[in-house]
Amino acid sequence: MNNSLIKIAQPLLSIQGQLASWSAVTSQIHTSAALCRVVSGKYRITKKRDRPLTYEMANPPHYIAHRKTWNSWNTSNLKDGLRRSETAVEDEFIRRFMTGTWHGLMCSEVIIKRQFNHIRVAAIVRRAVSPTKMYFLLGYTEELLANWLQCPVTLELQTVDSFQDVVFKYI
Amino acid sequence: MYSNIILPRQWSRIACFCRLSTIEGQKLPQSGKSSDGISPPPRIPRGPTDILQALAATVGPDPTAAHYKYHDDPYLIPLSNYRKRAYALSAEAGRKAAAWIRDEHASLFNTREWDPPSKLKTPYYNADPIIDAFEPKPIYNEESKVTEEDLKYTINNALLDDSIKIFQLLGGIENISEETKLALLQFLCFYNEKEPDSMEWLEERWFSANVRERQLATWKLGGLADKIFASIEPKTPEAYCAVIQGMAKHYQAERAHALSQEAIEKGIPLSTEVFNSLLACVGFLREGTALRAEALKGLLTQMGEQGLSPNEETLTACLRSISSWGGGKMLQELALQVVAEFKQLGIQPGLSAYYYLLCLFCKERGPRIDILSGILVDLENRENLDAKEPTDTNFFITAMGVCSDHLQDINMAERVHALLMKGDNYKLVGDAYKESIYYRHLVTVACRHAPFERTTELLDTLVPNVYVPEPSVMEEIIKTLEVAGAGERLAQAWSQLVVFGIAKRVRLVERLLSAMSSTYEYQTEEVKGKMRDAAADILKFGKIAENEQNAKDLRTPVQKLSANAVSNIVELCSDVKDTADANWDAVSEGIQRLKQSDATGVPSRPQALADVALRAATAGKLGIAASAVQYLAECGFEEAVPASIQALGAVLNRPQEEVETLLEKQRADLTKAVHPSALALVDAYYLAKTGAPAREADSSTSSDSDSESSSDDE
Repeated sequence: MNNSLIKIAQPLLSIQGQLASWSAVTSQIHTSAALCRVVSGKYRITKKRDRPLTYEMANPPHYIAHRKTWNSWNTSNLKDGLRRSETAVEDEFIRRFMTGTWHGLMCSEVIIKRQFNHIRVAAIVRRAVSPTKMYFLLGYTEELLANWLQCPVTLELQTVDSFQDVVFKYI
Repeated sequence: MYSNIILPRQWSRIACFCRLSTIEGQKLPQSGKSSDGISPPPRIPRGPTDILQALAATVGPDPTAAHYKYHDDPYLIPLSNYRKRAYALSAEAGRKAAAWIRDEHASLFNTREWDPPSKLKTPYYNADPIIDAFEPKPIYNEESKVTEEDLKYTINNALLDDSIKIFQLLGGIENISEETKLALLQFLCFYNEKEPDSMEWLEERWFSANVRERQLATWKLGGLADKIFASIEPKTPEAYCAVIQGMAKHYQAERAHALSQEAIEKGIPLSTEVFNSLLACVGFLREGTALRAEALKGLLTQMGEQGLSPNEETLTACLRSISSWGGGKMLQELALQVVAEFKQLGIQPGLSAYYYLLCLFCKERGPRIDILSGILVDLENRENLDAKEPTDTNFFITAMGVCSDHLQDINMAERVHALLMKGDNYKLVGDAYKESIYYRHLVTVACRHAPFERTTELLDTLVPNVYVPEPSVMEEIIKTLEVAGAGERLAQAWSQLVVFGIAKRVRLVERLLSAMSSTYEYQTEEVKGKMRDAAADILKFGKIAENEQNAKDLRTPVQKLSANAVSNIVELCSDVKDTADANWDAVSEGIQRLKQSDATGVPSRPQALADVALRAATAGKLGIAASAVQYLAECGFEEAVPASIQALGAVLNRPQEEVETLLEKQRADLTKAVHPSALALVDAYYLAKTGAPAREADSSTSSDSDSESSSDDE
């Protein structure tokens, strides 16, 4: 079945150049379920009311730009923005890389800000390892991400003593 | 709908392109006026980074923040020299680890993250656009199929070991073209077949222990460079120039000179650079100043015969030779002669030339010669100072050293510092080692010769972000603070010692304590309180350090404070009226330490302890008063007797004579007359008087006193 799909897709690929100018239209179509509006980005209250939430988690998505801001800052999603899917995949890659490399240290969402060809990655980390090790990880992350993403990457970290410091409320 | 929007955009782009092309095409008026009265300024050609540099120039250095290579977070900002070094190098170690992964597992980096696997165009590297800085470095081994292109690539990127490997893989001298052979020869000669430090690792270069280059013949005789040179037939001027410069650079002076003579005899033209390098090592040929000067002049005339005009490096090379031959009137005159002659030719000495002049004229043990002010006038008038030679970075550190050790002139030092801070001259500071020596000189001269306000202003801007004082400089600073009687700053100095990681240096702490005790009485009550707290903290810190030592079994034992220092602490801390003050704990702790001989030596001012005993007695701390007097008595100080009498007087609230008559009595009687806790003072008195405790002295007469006193205790 897959093969047949590709066969159908192939003649389409030949007119890809013409389609490119219409990509703005195609990206308008949403296929996700309407339910998401109610549950996505929100946290369920626990029985014991002991689930810790950071400020970012405590505010549901409709508060974006009112009480909290975006986790990704870029111009891809503006009208005529470039590299939409690429940016999304890259951002996800950066987030996973950060949580894996700074294992158990991340206390907040990873904020990714793009300016020109420069990516700034901001986060709050725990002071669980010595500053020397933190500097090692800093240099390592910056260099490796820069090589993958082919552009300068800067980490902008802030440290807190423990995860408790970023807890906004318990639900 | 969308095409409507896209179209105008494309049109505008085309229009923009047309406009640009007309601007490029037409001749722009330099200062003409157009008919409508608007005159555009003439176009200035810009480089790709000019705007960035202009932006950077608007931001001055901020001494209140840590260097930007450190992360701006309280936990990650280094405050001591050790930490500055450790943090910067760890970050670089992380970078190195990442670079190693990139080179070792290049296959993980050959696609862009967001691309599906079908987009893989080549199995190696698919970046688009290709950016050189992010390309994986090629790895060459025995099986690599290499071409001459690879050799050229390694030469251009200064990969010495790789280029030698490729050279061997290519099959040696016969299989490469003359052009590449020459390039390789120049490359090998420049680095003397030693892999240069990579330019990529800035911190490593910045912090690398900079050992002064020793003038030894390090040129590899019969090495690859020599072999390649021998194989070049006929020998071109470039080949001669490369090999002579390489030999001269690595102090193979005799062979370099022999080769240059050979070349001249053969009629091969040599470049100015070759003569410059020969001039720099001319001293290796002859012994004795006169002969060397002769040889130098001979080379210069030879240069003239060849029709070569000297340049700035020629002057530097001459001065470098002259300054390395020692000192003395004759050499100094020769140097001035050379400089004057070059000035006539219109060649101004550069920073390196001035550096060698300073080396020659300002010897540590020599007459004071002020050539620096003339040099500064010249340099201050220059638009900007460019680094042209590696030795240029030696100028500022030497100039500041001259200000501090030779001229001992703060005004001159400030002028040098202002020059370093002007524009982007700070790049000439060299590396971490040179920078710290530079500031060491600056702070030392400021402490010794500047007015106090200027010194503190300087210290406030420099410490701790720009410069962390070393122990010797810290001592100098403490001395200055003591002379100025700045009690608050002395109290701060202790916390600085802790932060800078030099609080375990006993000599420094003792110096600080004596400074504190000598300035203490002139301070206001508030400052006095701070100084007391600092003194109490010193004692606490010592105790913590000791516990740490016991727990960890350190290799270098923690040095103990001397009795002098401890008595200083005790004296400072005891100056409180409030009996509930926490500082009394520090006092008793200090006296305990003295008594257990945990402190080396004996205090030099026993009167201080006598005062402490009196104060303690007045405050009702009888235990402390007694142990202070006891300690004095045990050490055999004369002050013990009057101290115990005074303390007793204070306790009993009686005049001194009465106490003296009281003490004349037998101890047994005293036990009844005096409060038991004051008995310790009486004991101390007897100990001081007779050299033995009171109980033993009159145990025969009052055998029941022991039991009585013990019953009193209960």
